[in-house]
Amino acid sequence: MLNIKNLHVKLEDEDKQILKGVDLTVPAGEVHAIMGPNGSGKSTLSYVLSGRDGYEVTEGEASLYDHDLLDMEPEERAAAGLFLAFQYPVEIPGVGNLTFLRTAVNAQRKARGEEELSSGEFLKLVREKAKTLQIDAEMLKRPVNVGFSGGEKKRNEILQMAMLEPKMCILDETDSGLDVDAMRLVAEGVNALRSPERSFLVITHYQRLLDHIKPDVVHIMSNGRIIKTGGPELALEVEKNGYGDLLAEVG
Amino acid sequence: MADTAVLAAQTVAAKARPAGTALAARLAELDLPTGGFTRAARADAAARLEAMGLPGARDEYWRYTDPAPFNAPTADALAYTDRESTLFGGIDRLKLVFVDGRFDASASDALEGEGLEITTLAAADAAGDHWAADLYGKLEASGQKPVKRPFAVLNTLAAVDGVLIRVTGKVSRPVHVMYRRVALDADVTVHHVVRLEEGSELTLLETGGIGARSNVAMEVELGREARFHHIASKRADDAKVGIGHVFARVGEGALFKSFTLSVNGSMMRNEGVIEIVGDDAVAHIAAAVLGDGGEGRFHHDDTVFITHAAERCESRQVYKKVLKNGAHGIFQGKILVKPGAQKTDGYQISQGLLLDEGSQFLAKPELEIYADDVKCSHGSTTGALDETAMFYLRSRGVPKEQAVVLLVLSFLADALDEIEDDRLRGDILTRLDEWLTSRASA
Amino acid sequence: MAEQISDAIEVREGVDRETVETVQNMGSYKYGWDTEIEMEYAPKGVNEDIVRLISAKNEEPEWMTEWRLQAFRRWQTMTEPKWAMLNYPEINYQDQYYYARPKSMEVKPKSLDEVDPKLLATYEKLGIPLKEQMILAGIEGSGDTPAEGRKVAVDAVFDSVSVGTTFKDELAKAGVIFCSISEAIREHPELVKKYLGSVVPQSDNFFATLNSAVFSDGSFVYIPPGTRCPMELSTYFRINAENTGQFERTLIIADKGSYVSYLEGCTAPKRDVAQLHAAVVEIVILEDAEVKYSTVQNWFPGDEEGKGGIYNFVTKRADCREARAKVMWTQVETGSAITWKYPSCILRGEESQGEFYSIAIANNMQQADTGTKMIHLGKNTRSRIVSKGISAGKAQNTYRGLVSMHPKATNSRNYTQCDSLLIGDQCGAHTVPYIEVKNTSSRVEHEATTSKVDDDQLFYCRARGMDEEEAVALVVNGFCREVLQALPMEFAMEAQSLVAISLEGSVG
Repeated sequence: MLNIKNLHVKLEDEDKQILKGVDLTVPAGEVHAIMGPNGSGKSTLSYVLSGRDGYEVTEGEASLYDHDLLDMEPEERAAAGLFLAFQYPVEIPGVGNLTFLRTAVNAQRKARGEEELSSGEFLKLVREKAKTLQIDAEMLKRPVNVGFSGGEKKRNEILQMAMLEPKMCILDETDSGLDVDAMRLVAEGVNALRSPERSFLVITHYQRLLDHIKPDVVHIMSNGRIIKTGGPELALEVEKNGYGDLLAEVG
Repeated sequence: MADTAVLAAQTVAAKARPAGTALAARLAELDLPTGGFTRAARADAAARLEAMGLPGARDEYWRYTDPAPFNAPTADALAYTDRESTLFGGIDRLKLVFVDGRFDASASDALEGEGLEITTLAAADAAGDHWAADLYGKLEASGQKPVKRPFAVLNTLAAVDGVLIRVTGKVSRPVHVMYRRVALDADVTVHHVVRLEEGSELTLLETGGIGARSNVAMEVELGREARFHHIASKRADDAKVGIGHVFARVGEGALFKSFTLSVNGSMMRNEGVIEIVGDDAVAHIAAAVLGDGGEGRFHHDDTVFITHAAERCESRQVYKKVLKNGAHGIFQGKILVKPGAQKTDGYQISQGLLLDEGSQFLAKPELEIYADDVKCSHGSTTGALDETAMFYLRSRGVPKEQAVVLLVLSFLADALDEIEDDRLRGDILTRLDEWLTSRASA
Repeated sequence: MAEQISDAIEVREGVDRETVETVQNMGSYKYGWDTEIEMEYAPKGVNEDIVRLISAKNEEPEWMTEWRLQAFRRWQTMTEPKWAMLNYPEINYQDQYYYARPKSMEVKPKSLDEVDPKLLATYEKLGIPLKEQMILAGIEGSGDTPAEGRKVAVDAVFDSVSVGTTFKDELAKAGVIFCSISEAIREHPELVKKYLGSVVPQSDNFFATLNSAVFSDGSFVYIPPGTRCPMELSTYFRINAENTGQFERTLIIADKGSYVSYLEGCTAPKRDVAQLHAAVVEIVILEDAEVKYSTVQNWFPGDEEGKGGIYNFVTKRADCREARAKVMWTQVETGSAITWKYPSCILRGEESQGEFYSIAIANNMQQADTGTKMIHLGKNTRSRIVSKGISAGKAQNTYRGLVSMHPKATNSRNYTQCDSLLIGDQCGAHTVPYIEVKNTSSRVEHEATTSKVDDDQLFYCRARGMDEEEAVALVVNGFCREVLQALPMEFAMEAQSLVAISLEGSVG
């Protein structure tokens, strides 16, 4: 389903190559993790896939099912089923969390030619999903992410994921800034969404999130390339020995 | 600033012409009422106006707005769309209709209500004595220092009609002044006077198109513990030239709140002059402005002067302007804290959101403070839409146009929050959302 | 004791014990002595003859005399600006001396013994080392001996005349020209002709135009391409003669890729008659060059009743004329009865940068109206304004600033932070910023606050044994921290002491 071939990306404003030929395939229903040291290009990969400005693709391609992602606007990618859980969710003062969610859900339904949800249907659905993530009514009323704690912001990301029902979920450093309890809650939210039709790409610096969200495949990224691919045991190896050995081994 | 001052001096020299000539020409076109209870105030205004003349480019307070359209002897004819204002339609209120600046009794509700004494300026001015004689032109005159406001003086001199409200109790039904335009070149001067007696409360709504050119003045006196809510929505999209004045004197423990929504079509100057004279009082003044310079000229100037002359008072100025297509947004706001006005809490925020090239936001947020135990601050920012927020919304599947609408509403939220009543705020928000969405999809 | 506190509370940050000691040790206006030196005066008043006389005394070429006369004629058509929040009696421009210089300068002395000892004493009081004193006194040959300690080249202007410049030879080796402006007019006419009046035009404003006509001396700096000036350059200005206006003119040119840090200090004796000072500083900065200009202005502020003091009307402007040029203004304004001063940046070159850091203290009857202008003309330009105003006694202190983003200055940024502190309920603190944004891609942020000295902080300091004045000095120094940090080291120390001294008598 997600197919990345020989992806080369540089910064738009600077002559700086970030991704230097990434190849990656995530089949339906699988959970893949990308690990790597800081500055290896992990977050850039997530931004480029979801269509953030500021990057220039110089070579290669990326597709989701039969959609050529790189030619699409960010909202088109979302409607096609791509979801990025942000490392730093953005605060939008003055816009209620519910308004935001409903606008997003209905925009995507509309884009896919589906009927928009009525207020009643929407509220019922939100309350149901929010409950499992321990998001209370008060949090739903507050402006998007404004005054949310780190944990609340990440739970809010997962709530959006649950509401939007994407096919391909990218989690960018979702564990950063979370304590153990918050991480468990977020991981449970993600695990509840695992299904044969849905894939995940979990980007993380540490192995600890992968204790909770068990990956099928682990990729190690360094200096803009995937340098090694293996099973869950690869993450444990990183945890035990750090990135140093691996990088040296690959040279 | 040094070179700016020199420049200004040169401009003045180039444009100089006898002030009397322009003023005489301006006055010649007006049908000046002799007035009944307002007679003395009008005579005083005539003398003051003669002494001050009309504003010119040298006036610091007209730095960013050319007074020419207000100085012109007559109004230009401007086309407008004839439609009924539906805003606040679902709210039980006392409706007063003004057509081209004159009260239309047949279209209005009966001038009565619990806790209210209400009449029109035209009707009352036929009589010789009225409670409003203590206020008419008086707050305006005291609001002339230190800044001259010739068009407010002109208003006192020339106003033909308006509403006079004395509030004695808690008025639950808002009073709704609905303006309607008929003549293409209607040049309208309206003067309202509101007195809130001790402990009383009133909500005043103003909507609709006032005229091709309008000069509105409102004088409001708030007695002890009185509460006054003012919400004005300028007719959207129609071309108009307007200057508005609010002169408020806020007594001990009283609350004054004013919010204005302006959407498109305007060459507009709003002057807010608020003097807080009683301890523990609160005054908030806010505006949400959206302007598209592509649909006729858009120039929107808010000039606010808040004076703290009492202890433990709070003031807030919240101005948000969304500008595109060569629109100009101006904010000149001042907080003056007089000696002895200790424990003042003064706050001022002015923000410009520029949606494309060519628009301008010009701000002069001033503090003038003569008391030490105070907390005063202001902030002013200008910039484009936040790209990160934009990406966040789009990554959730919200199309670009709709994301802009949401972020614009987000930007305006602080100003809208100054409307205390949930239903009134909801109505304004819905109107704004509809307008933005219809524009976004167009 | 002091050290324990420094660990414990926030107000101590950026402040050291020295401040407190300074408050305890120092008198009120340290530089308030005057020096009885035989002076040569031009007749009182200003007219074309006086302008010609000043030009002749400086042995100027004809073109310079003409330039001055042109300015003078222009000045006669102008009126004094009144928009600042300043109140002072009408200035009688014909009741001032426009030219005064120490008589001893007429013939160069051969050794220190021949120098008027009072002149030497003056420099000593100013804290200028002996070696530098010799050079400043114009002793022949003294410029060649290497000096010990830190190296700061000094150009001292005593009343209207530059009395000497130190380290000239060492600077010359690096290609740096540092001399009095009168010397530059004679020796480097091509540079002066090209740049004089190119940043602050003759007709810029009333005071700058007057300066253009009657400036008697000042400093000139030229840093050649790719040169990092080997030492800091400094000018000390002192007004000594009575009833004498001082009009110095400074011109700094930083050629491509060069760097210089320039310090300016000012003092004047206590006099009960107000004195006029109208200086102009022009800085031209070319591609990739950087200039730091720091001022500690400590002119006599007048007495507690507002008698005397310097009326300080100064025009300072830097023109970042080419790409990536950079200027940083730092000023500590504690003196003068009247301050009218807006060091400004014209950000013309793409990616050029302007910074303005200011502390303005007004005590007793002082009035200050000061700030900056950031004129963004080029793409991707950046500016930053940090202004700290302190009002005490019956003083009035105004920040006045302009941030202007022109339509072509796309992707530019400004950040302004402008804080005022009030000490006592008889003073005033005012903020008058003009913010003009005429393009969409630029971002401008302005924040301003006004408050009094925090009671909790004061109480905390006093509970640790400081008296109220010490505590206030400490808290105020903390308030000014960001600006003090922007000053070169030696100046920072001086400035910190000045903050304390300036506030004396403001409490209780």
